[in-house]
Amino acid sequence: MMGFYFSRLVEIYPFFLKGLWMTTQIAFISLVSCTLIGFVLGILRAGENLILKRLIGVYVAFVRGTPFVVQVFIIFFILPEWGIQLEAFPAALLAMAIMGSAFICEIVAGGIASIAKGQWEAAESSGLTRIQQLRLVILPQAMKVILPPLVGQFVLLIKDTSVVSVIGVMDLTRVGWITVIRIPEGLMVFSLVGILYFVISYPLILLSNYLERKMAV
Amino acid sequence: MDGNMLADFNFRIIMEYLPLFFKGLSVTFLISISSIFLALVMGIIACACRISPIKSLKYPAIAYIEVIRSTPLLVQIYFFYFGLPTLGVRIPEIQTGIVALMLNSGAYIAEIIRAGINSVDEGQIEAGISSGLNYIQRMRFIILPQALGVTIPPLLGQAIVLVKDSALLSLISVAELTRCGQTLTSERFMPTEAFFTVAFFYMCIYFVLKSLADWSQKKLIFREVY
Amino acid sequence: MENIIEFKNVNKWFGKLHVLNDINLEVPKGEVLVICGPSGSGKSTLIRCINRLEQIQKGEIIVNKTPVHDKSANLTRLREDIGFVFQQFHLYPHMTVLQNITLAPMHVKKINRAEAEKIAMVKLDQVGMTEKADAYPTQLSGGQQQRVAIARGLAMSPEIMLFDEPTSALDPEMIGEVLDVMVNLVSEGMTMCVVTHEMGFAKKVADRVLFMDDGQIVETGKPDDFFDNPKTDRAKSFISMILTH
Repeated sequence: MMGFYFSRLVEIYPFFLKGLWMTTQIAFISLVSCTLIGFVLGILRAGENLILKRLIGVYVAFVRGTPFVVQVFIIFFILPEWGIQLEAFPAALLAMAIMGSAFICEIVAGGIASIAKGQWEAAESSGLTRIQQLRLVILPQAMKVILPPLVGQFVLLIKDTSVVSVIGVMDLTRVGWITVIRIPEGLMVFSLVGILYFVISYPLILLSNYLERKMAV
Repeated sequence: MDGNMLADFNFRIIMEYLPLFFKGLSVTFLISISSIFLALVMGIIACACRISPIKSLKYPAIAYIEVIRSTPLLVQIYFFYFGLPTLGVRIPEIQTGIVALMLNSGAYIAEIIRAGINSVDEGQIEAGISSGLNYIQRMRFIILPQALGVTIPPLLGQAIVLVKDSALLSLISVAELTRCGQTLTSERFMPTEAFFTVAFFYMCIYFVLKSLADWSQKKLIFREVY
Repeated sequence: MENIIEFKNVNKWFGKLHVLNDINLEVPKGEVLVICGPSGSGKSTLIRCINRLEQIQKGEIIVNKTPVHDKSANLTRLREDIGFVFQQFHLYPHMTVLQNITLAPMHVKKINRAEAEKIAMVKLDQVGMTEKADAYPTQLSGGQQQRVAIARGLAMSPEIMLFDEPTSALDPEMIGEVLDVMVNLVSEGMTMCVVTHEMGFAKKVADRVLFMDDGQIVETGKPDDFFDNPKTDRAKSFISMILTH
């Protein structure tokens, strides 16, 4: 019986690759957008504008305090109520962007905060503007602190893409979910899904471990 | 339903469904608390194996931790939900969910504990060695007490993660908090009321746990002072 | 006077770095030995080998009749007889001063708590820290912490006390109180090996000075002879460098 199902599985392999491709797309777009937005927000959050800091803080608290799946539901089901109709794929990207940016924002803000005040003062004393201080003195140093947890966050984001399968995006997880209905070999199907996720996230995990070792010295 | 009537329908419907939400909340609590304790036990055992010099304990522990950390929780949940019946194991979904959460958080907790143990200053251990204390004595008197303080804040962080992770169990039909939101949406077509209420409850839990975690961060960490 | 510490053709490498190069050394019982030299000379490594914090690859180390280099040596017994004081003190921050000192006597020597606390108070008296018995290390200054660390080392009534740059991490005004404690120990006949740059201390109490450079013992002699009339060039340049401060 296992043999019968195994050959069905081999047939369905292209389907899995499509799912893998979808997951990779979502992951890649999300990593890029979250990093860009997250950095901007993080810099603002570490800045001096109190109102901005508070607002970003509220946004971050909401993202960190609620399950991602609930956020996905909110975006997919509630936005149409306010007139914004989104298909599954864009909704997924939006949800990932909102969620990932919050976490990266905190990582970046934390990294900047870790740089000694004296560095800002020294830079300011030589006449640099705030943006120059940030760009030339603070951020380069902060990057050492930011990089390891940032790469770690990338791994988490890749795994979080699996949640968007609940709104029908045909990603790797949904492919597995649909497959297992026709080929009821749960262990085999989701082992395969797991292996494929492992394949895309392991290089980043290795990079993260490497960076953590290097920065700890 | 139109958004202009937001303020009006909002609370009446929520009041009507409040018993359901509280039931879902209690299920979420049940799942979270049992999973966290089981995960703690799992994590302690896995960590002990991980740092053990015995290869037949160490390598399986590393494999377990790495597999969990590189695959999504949802996939792990589906793995057990769809896979266990094929092995003849037919248990209620809630138990399947708790197993998945236990194994998932257990791996992260193992790493948290391991980091805590490694964080104890090498010099402390050398001072212990120099006075003639053996490995168990060093663990008991020097390493573990200090590691405990360092470990508790991230453990509370993991508890927060686990409460949020429990929301995924709604996808395997467990009647927890998020599922209530889905129920309200499908019965009354009011996703706004449904999911904002759900989000509100999660935020409450988050703030309580986060305050606890922040407090423990301040109070429990011992450091060498020069 | 029999030798309590012996190094015979000891060699140690850290990877490719030859940190101990053919060390031969005899320390008679009761001797106060000062070891000095530039950083990286191997002096810390040398005393860390005595209580097996570091292991050697070649040669023999015999301490109090125990062959330390031997894998089967009874390290617990060995360490009961050796007290070690670290540059960074390394007091246990989660325990009071008293608990820091009674830990080993209670759990290694299996002395009961009351007895151990009595001994601890005696040692604290020796270092002048009895009023701080219930304080935590974070509440003490560097000099006070180091004195407690010395009491902790003395708690097991060891035959040998090893000091790895005991005053190097201290602010200048606290160095004196620690050195005073160490001078008092000398008058009790304790065998001491001290890695330090404090020449005043060496001249006052050391029986012998060892100068190390590049993993080797370059010169030895009585403190006055060594500091005032160094024989080798390397010793000469080292002494002139510490003198200019």
